[in-house]
Amino acid sequence: MFAHALALVTALLLVGHGPDRAWAGAPTDQLKAQIERTVKILEDPELKKPGKQRDRRAAVRQVANDIFDFSETAKRSLARHWAARSQAEREEFVQLFGDLLERSYISKIELYGGEKIKFVGETIEPDGAIVRTRLVTRQDTEIPIDYRMHARGDKWLVYDVLIEGVSLISNYRTQFNKIITTSSYQELVKKMKSKQEEFIQEEKRTSQR
Amino acid sequence: MDRTRLNIAVGIFVILGVVALGYLSVQLGQVSFLGSRGYAVTVDFPSVGGLKAGSAVEIAGVEIGRVESIGLADYQARVTLRVRSGIKLQEDAIASIKTKGLIGEKYIRISPGGSDKIIQPNGRIREVEAPVDFEELLSKYIFGKV
Repeated sequence: MFAHALALVTALLLVGHGPDRAWAGAPTDQLKAQIERTVKILEDPELKKPGKQRDRRAAVRQVANDIFDFSETAKRSLARHWAARSQAEREEFVQLFGDLLERSYISKIELYGGEKIKFVGETIEPDGAIVRTRLVTRQDTEIPIDYRMHARGDKWLVYDVLIEGVSLISNYRTQFNKIITTSSYQELVKKMKSKQEEFIQEEKRTSQR
Repeated sequence: MDRTRLNIAVGIFVILGVVALGYLSVQLGQVSFLGSRGYAVTVDFPSVGGLKAGSAVEIAGVEIGRVESIGLADYQARVTLRVRSGIKLQEDAIASIKTKGLIGEKYIRISPGGSDKIIQPNGRIREVEAPVDFEELLSKYIFGKV
């Protein structure tokens, strides 16, 4: 009798305490939902019309904000240089980094043309999860894309993406480190700002045409 | 009298030769005599593609340890590294398998992270990058079309 009660209490404690365990399968489900949302936006005929490009991109960015933990990605990319930054600098950097990712990736996502995404597996560890997917192109080539996620409350957020095994954070970490050690952090921020300026100007020109 | 001195000289020479040979083999074979100096850290890679026990572990091109052993765990490659004591690896450090030059030997490059948490001895580096298999990539993009 006592043993039964004890088992019950332990079970309850485990369920109440371990969101990681209780949420088995959650990272994949949450990622899947957001990817489906993105595909829906991209296939929306209303948003495909010319002149709607900005709305479309904004909608995609919205989804990205919901599933990506940009501040974690920015922090990890800056690595040991993050600790030396003030609160204001960190906020500015996260913003600039978000813009950089939008420029590099969200604008590319408009090239989407019916590729399929297969979910092939997930690994959940005490402090994170990996969701493995394959992007199947129209030529039937499979490109492995792995998402590294961590739990924030009841939400799983992506902080790193590995395409063909190459990590996004690793890529930026190397580049940022090189710029900061050869010149300075201020130089890096200046560079990122001017790139963003250029991009906005370019956008204006194309939308006026 | 002369004979003995000659014998001693030859003896010393032979001993020196043996010591030199021993030193050379330890150096070339990368055997650490004092057993395990530094601490062990494990890393799981989907594939190690050509990495061997004894391969270098580097940060910024500086050797900070060596690969101690490579085994199989859950169909993944579990690599145990022996890292020099005094080198701290952050919890978000990334271990990547890289190639020296285009066709050189494989080594592990660690890019240090910025987390406050330090990986403890016998801990694990979670963030990894597998080596890029160029042949596979090539064949994928050349023969991709069915």
